[in-house]
Amino acid sequence: MAALGRLSQALLRTSLPQSRRQLSAAAAAGGHGGEQSAKTWKILTFVVALPGVAVCMLNMFLKEQSHTHEQPEFVPYSHLRIRSKRFPWGDGTKTLFHNSHVNALPDGYEGHDE
Amino acid sequence: MAHQAHAYHMVDPSPWPLTGAIAALLMTSGLAIWFHFHSTTLMSLGLALLLLTMYQWWRDIVREGTFQGHHTPPVQKGLRYGMILFITSEVFFFLGFFWAFYHASLAPTPELGGCWPPAGITTLDPFEVPLLNTAVLLASGVTVTWAHHSIMEGERKQAVQSLALTILLGFYFTFLQALEYYEAPFTIADGVYGSTFFVATGFHGLHVIIGSTFLAICLLRQIQYHFTSEHHFGFEAAAWYWHFVDVVWLFLYISIYWWGS
Repeated sequence: MAALGRLSQALLRTSLPQSRRQLSAAAAAGGHGGEQSAKTWKILTFVVALPGVAVCMLNMFLKEQSHTHEQPEFVPYSHLRIRSKRFPWGDGTKTLFHNSHVNALPDGYEGHDE
Repeated sequence: MAHQAHAYHMVDPSPWPLTGAIAALLMTSGLAIWFHFHSTTLMSLGLALLLLTMYQWWRDIVREGTFQGHHTPPVQKGLRYGMILFITSEVFFFLGFFWAFYHASLAPTPELGGCWPPAGITTLDPFEVPLLNTAVLLASGVTVTWAHHSIMEGERKQAVQSLALTILLGFYFTFLQALEYYEAPFTIADGVYGSTFFVATGFHGLHVIIGSTFLAICLLRQIQYHFTSEHHFGFEAAAWYWHFVDVVWLFLYISIYWWGS
């Protein structure tokens, strides 16, 4: 994975002054060290990384449009909506990120009759 | 005036390890008090003490290293070992939660319906927000590398820009994840699925916030000329931590979001 490669690259930079000397000597490798590296990563940022994020944002936007925002069906499964002990906030029945539209309580959705 | 005949740093006596330990005690016992007696006083006190400890201890380290010159090469080497060991311990921390996830999901029990995801769980589409989050963190890995090279090459303005961009991407990830947490059709109380999902991604999110904060401190220090092109270990430690956070996300994404859906 690219990130693992970057991680090992970052860790290898531990002997910084030494590696800089070595990298300057091998600067012909173009973009792998010496004086050009910041430029290389700046180019990667604006040509690959940020456009990649933009494409994923576009994908999200398109998918959102074709979504129905229907409530998932409520089935009173005993292995879900566990309430062994009340939560220490509010009335103790709602989780921290409770969303009454999509999170049913153990008896069903709030304010609905089944 | 006395001089030391070695390159190491004999640290002056400091109260912060003690206040940190007291903070840990107050926070943990405070958590128990909150759960059983509905009072948040002890926990809040512990949290306040923790924040004061962190601010003052790290401020002292910056003073010792940047302003007083105690961080000689051997001392810096020790700090590198320290950060590597700490990140390794965090890897093991997350390994535990991945173990729990795979234990539950590879052999789902009859109570769940003998299947994974369990019956009644509507999983998140891995190719919507989770994919965007992956792109955001990978992009931030590129920008933090840009920042590192900028610092090494003495490119001040670029260093500030790239570091700021990295932090913004970190905030964007946190924002998207918070939205996902609110919109998710399942909760932490939905059996082992909910537990493994929210504990693993929740601790990851906490580490993103910690990493973003560390990078933000580096940004302030870079602006104030603390870093040189040869010596900027605080930044390197923050970048290592940030890459670690990115890698943990990749494992979370592949295991829980994608395979587990």
